[in-house]
Amino acid sequence: MPVVAVGLSHHTSPVELRERLAFAEPTLPEALQKLRSSTLSDEAVILSTCNRVELYVAGARDPAATLTALRQFLLDWHSFRDPLGSELYSYAEPESLEHLFKVACGLDSMVLGETEILGQLKRAYDLALQHQHTGKRLNKAFQRAFNVAKQIRTETNIQRGTVSVGSAAVELAQTIFTSLSDRTVMVIGAGDTSEKTARALLSRGAQHILVTNRSFDRAAALAAELGGRAVAFDGWAEEFAAVDIVISSTSAPGYVLDRARLEPLVRLRRHRPLLLIDIAVPRDIDPEVNRLDGVYLYNIDDLQTIAADALRQRQEEIARCETIIREKVKALLAAPPAGFLSGSKLAFGS
Amino acid sequence: MLGLSDRNFFLLAVLVYGASAVYSIFLWRKGFREDNRVNYLLLLLGLGLHTIAMAKRGFSLAKCPVNNLYEATIFVTWTIAATYMVAGLWPRFRFLGAFASPVLLAIGVFALMPKLDMHGPKPQFAHGLASLHASTILLAYGAFGLGSVAAFMYLTQERDLKHRRLRAVFALLPPIQRLEAVTGRLLTGGLVLLTVGLVMGALWLKREKGAYFQPDFKIYWSLFVWCVYLGLLVLRWRFAQGGRRFAWGAIGSFCFVILTFWGFNMLSDIHRP
Repeated sequence: MPVVAVGLSHHTSPVELRERLAFAEPTLPEALQKLRSSTLSDEAVILSTCNRVELYVAGARDPAATLTALRQFLLDWHSFRDPLGSELYSYAEPESLEHLFKVACGLDSMVLGETEILGQLKRAYDLALQHQHTGKRLNKAFQRAFNVAKQIRTETNIQRGTVSVGSAAVELAQTIFTSLSDRTVMVIGAGDTSEKTARALLSRGAQHILVTNRSFDRAAALAAELGGRAVAFDGWAEEFAAVDIVISSTSAPGYVLDRARLEPLVRLRRHRPLLLIDIAVPRDIDPEVNRLDGVYLYNIDDLQTIAADALRQRQEEIARCETIIREKVKALLAAPPAGFLSGSKLAFGS
Repeated sequence: MLGLSDRNFFLLAVLVYGASAVYSIFLWRKGFREDNRVNYLLLLLGLGLHTIAMAKRGFSLAKCPVNNLYEATIFVTWTIAATYMVAGLWPRFRFLGAFASPVLLAIGVFALMPKLDMHGPKPQFAHGLASLHASTILLAYGAFGLGSVAAFMYLTQERDLKHRRLRAVFALLPPIQRLEAVTGRLLTGGLVLLTVGLVMGALWLKREKGAYFQPDFKIYWSLFVWCVYLGLLVLRWRFAQGGRRFAWGAIGSFCFVILTFWGFNMLSDIHRP
């Protein structure tokens, strides 16, 4: 029973088309049920995100016939009657498995190496599993895809580094702290970049967030958005003992934090590491504080340098990731229960 | 086996540790960016040869091979290498090998000096309790050794972070907070083993000499080492002396142990073969 895949993504189609062919989450169980009952497939998983819609199926039918029928199913389900060209792609084995593995690893994502897609893929698989639409073939293929994604995350730098200032801050925090889940982040100055940086830290597990701003109302509004707590601008130092990461982006003309002010606060923290991210221009934090034990200060230029280097490195890592994926697909196909066919990309719409 | 003596096997192990140390220089220059299986496998090979050397010596003596300074030293290096093998199962800790191999090479070369491998007229550790005392204490020194390696890794990563070197972010090394915790745990484990080893030594003294304590350079030295490590851990725990100071303390203390261990052994009537 070979695994085949039909779909479209941000690489092949504009958002106007993707939104017309996307599956609303509540309709997924019904779509899966119909896919199964139509004898198109014995097993099925539907992945529908803002950047891609993909149908993975395994069945006893001939792959070429299955792919044609799958494509028709996708169009019929959405009552789509417009002509389509190369927007839809179709894969038989081994390309279908290679594609699945690449998607899981973020190699096919808009932001190269991003990890959000792995969570979406896991949810899509879990839904199909819960409704008993998967079997030996897809279970094995998806579980192997999750394993490969983990291996690539561990052994390569494809998911390290970043393309934004916010995620550069996350990288730094992960180099210093064992876990971000019990870290407290303080945002000084409620600007746009500091908000994005705080959001990036929250998305990686940081749970406690404090916001302070000259305008308390603005601080309170941002704190409410981020699920944190607003602190009066004159009183932020009192909270400092519990803070691990500071993001500062005020428009103050001079330093908001200098060595003389920080030194006693560092002692209060019992020399736990402190990451200071100064994204303000002119700078908010005196560079001298970097000399204090356990204090790590990075300004906007440092973060941008990290982001640029990371992007270059991610691009260099693609070849390594693809080699790993090819090996894993080969291993998966080498030890099948039955029904693995060597196929090739079938050019629908051509 | 292959007609090689146990010392030959240990010499081969030291050569492999040396190859690993050379390879580590390349890893360092590349910024520890790629997963490091080659070095792990090299050290695994070294540990295999090292284990054969110890087993051959043990079987030839028909007891635990910790009877003179050579055997004690190779026991310490074996502990460091074996502990690294376990830690290296986690990919993020695999680069610990790049920091451990120069230490293994240096101690290994030192152990091969002929004067260290002398057997005196009486076996130094004739009883099970004495063997247990020696091996527990040597395991403790192994834990201190690996702790100092983790501390050195911490200092390297911390320095890169302070100087905003890109290597800090892109190296596949554990976070500095975890490295500090690992150093702390290794030192704590080492201190517990050292305590157990010293208590066993006292029990052996009581049985052999009728007293739990005897004025002896090596005993004073061991108690001093015990106090140093206890002090380091108490300073970190109660007085927040962690981070760089703790890492330097771990490295300095182990250097002291390594540099003075042999000298005090030679001064000791109880410990000299």
